[in-house]
Amino acid sequence: MVGNDAFQEADTTGITRPVTKASYFASDPDTVGDTVGEAFELARKGRQGPTLVDLPKDVSNAEDVARPGPAAGPETQVVPDEADPEAVTRAATALANAERPVILAGGGVIKGNASEELRQFAIDHGVPVVTTMPGVGAFDETHELAMEMAGMHGTGYANMAVTHCDVMLAVGTRFDDRLTGGVDTFAPEAEIAHVDIDASEISKNVHADYPLVGDASTVLRQLDEALARSPDTDAWRDQCTHWETEYPMDYDAPEDEPLKPQFVVEAFDEATDADTIVTTGVGQHQMWAVQYWTFTEPRTWISSHGLGTMGYGLPAAIGAKVAAPEKEVVCFDGDGSFLMTSQGLSVAVREDLDITVCILNNEAVGMVRQWQDAFFEGRRMASEYPWGPDFATLADAFGAKGFTLDAYDDVADTIAAARDYDGPSVIDCHIDPREDVYPMVASGGANGLFALQEEHL
Amino acid sequence: MTGELPGPAPEERPHPSGRRNEQGIRIDPEAEAEPEVRREVLSALVDHEPGVLAEVSGLFARRQFNIESLTVGPTMTGGLARMTIVVEETDPGVEQAKRQLRKLVPVHAVRELEAATERELALIKVGDDDPAGVAAVAEMYGGEAVEAGPEVVTVELTGTEAEIDAAVEAFERFGVREVARTGTAALAGGTEFTAHETHNNE
Ligand SMILES: Cc1ncc(C[n+]2csc(CCOP(=O)(O)OP(=O)(O)O)c2C)c(N)n1
Ligand SMILES: [Mg+2]
Repeated sequence: MVGNDAFQEADTTGITRPVTKASYFASDPDTVGDTVGEAFELARKGRQGPTLVDLPKDVSNAEDVARPGPAAGPETQVVPDEADPEAVTRAATALANAERPVILAGGGVIKGNASEELRQFAIDHGVPVVTTMPGVGAFDETHELAMEMAGMHGTGYANMAVTHCDVMLAVGTRFDDRLTGGVDTFAPEAEIAHVDIDASEISKNVHADYPLVGDASTVLRQLDEALARSPDTDAWRDQCTHWETEYPMDYDAPEDEPLKPQFVVEAFDEATDADTIVTTGVGQHQMWAVQYWTFTEPRTWISSHGLGTMGYGLPAAIGAKVAAPEKEVVCFDGDGSFLMTSQGLSVAVREDLDITVCILNNEAVGMVRQWQDAFFEGRRMASEYPWGPDFATLADAFGAKGFTLDAYDDVADTIAAARDYDGPSVIDCHIDPREDVYPMVASGGANGLFALQEEHL
Repeated sequence: MTGELPGPAPEERPHPSGRRNEQGIRIDPEAEAEPEVRREVLSALVDHEPGVLAEVSGLFARRQFNIESLTVGPTMTGGLARMTIVVEETDPGVEQAKRQLRKLVPVHAVRELEAATERELALIKVGDDDPAGVAAVAEMYGGEAVEAGPEVVTVELTGTEAEIDAAVEAFERFGVREVARTGTAALAGGTEFTAHETHNNE
């Protein structure tokens, strides 16, 4: 039947090929088990990522099929055990001689379970650490070496450190444009040592002076052994601390104005344990969540990052709770994002998942509104959305528990009540619709020119 | 709108004078040159099965690599085919193309061929008004007439891409009706292996 446009036929492997590591069509009942085994192995091997097996109906219905052998990844995919020792030596020399070194920790540090090694390396050698958005949690944001997230909505101090460093040790990052801004001005004076398990990331967007292909923990250990001495970073660290005081993330929260989202995020953070898992949708709320929650542990920050898929927050919270039932899970969502997958509440109720959704409701697709204001002279088009449902009622209708939050005085109590509720709860938190996200690096702009207000853009 | 943060404005901050080019390579801003595009022959050893060609060509289209030709055919090893891909890219572009190819599951080995032997086959159909002239040009380019019918002669010839370009041009004066070209096939020069299982995506 395949290829004849039969009922519900779609070229599933063809459609998914560009977005998977591999997409298999299992046409033979006797080898389908091996194919599934290979797909799982490949998903885990090297740089992790999704694989797909398309199972035609006659294959899934087949009986008396051969048993699969032990699962094995495809022979053609080789993952190097360790980085080229010669490149390691050269990178270590550059690092030892650096005056203004920075570690850039990406999501690969977390996926590769290398947070511990990275922390040890940074602390042992006194190197300040900035992270990408997927790298949030790789380093403890309360540590004195933490400069937090860099890039479009990164902290001012992280972007200053990235702009002025002379050697950058980048681990498990693909140098996404939301991190780099324009590559012409990205770390323009830095030699870059790039550690990645995926060789195709080396020099893809930003040239790597020291390409180090391998597993993050292994390569960090190699570098540590090759490092004859730690760089002398006292002056540079003073400079970084100075930037931290010069560009604080201090926001105004006047009592007589609508709730500020930053305040709500901080209040949630204070109320919960350090290992609480945070998930988000896409937009301003996502940026406030990453900026104002203090992350200390890997795998506590779950977001769609470079893909920017609104609607990710609730399904991700459900997945996180199923995977880590012992941990508290909080989803910060936007009113727009939540509407895209809110039917997931039904799953959360069915599975009796104790998760808390906090909708930072600005009655707008706020991030779009912010760009229209900043880059299109305030000509707002389809970005304000005062027609959203009453989210508390919606939650109740699903059999979850709804709350509404409007006033500073109620923040602590409402958060406590929603967390106490045994099952999925949703707080419809009405925030100041005028609030914008800063700092901001304009698309393609220089990180060092981050704006602190609209006039700077 | 609200949400502003404290701190010196962008123009009040120090800014480094360094620059990178489009490829993310640090450069002297005074002496910036356009990165050079080069023609490179890549050879890939791939599984000889349906879908592989689509996978490879999809990759090149998706990533906007400039490709001049792509040919594929079986090898002496059952189940494996050789693909010859001619790309026109900057240095980092050629590297990227190789690395992205290696990530495809059906791709066993990829190499960039230096001093390769390159050949392309062409069939050129011309008018038969001047059979002696056609034969003379065909001979000059090492080709031969493989079909001589009423009104037309079809000439087969092999050569490098440039030689075939030149031959087609030379045949123009007899009136070229149609041309079919295979694209470049290539093997590494000398005793070097082209792309071989021993190179398993190193
Ligand atoms: C599925 C999808 N559609 C559109 C966009 C473009 N987009 C990015 S942010 C944003 C606004 C999101 O609104 P909301 O969830 O309310 O978040 P807010 O910015 O208001 O906090 C939009 C439309 C996207 N990223 N994903
Ligand atoms: Mg919104």
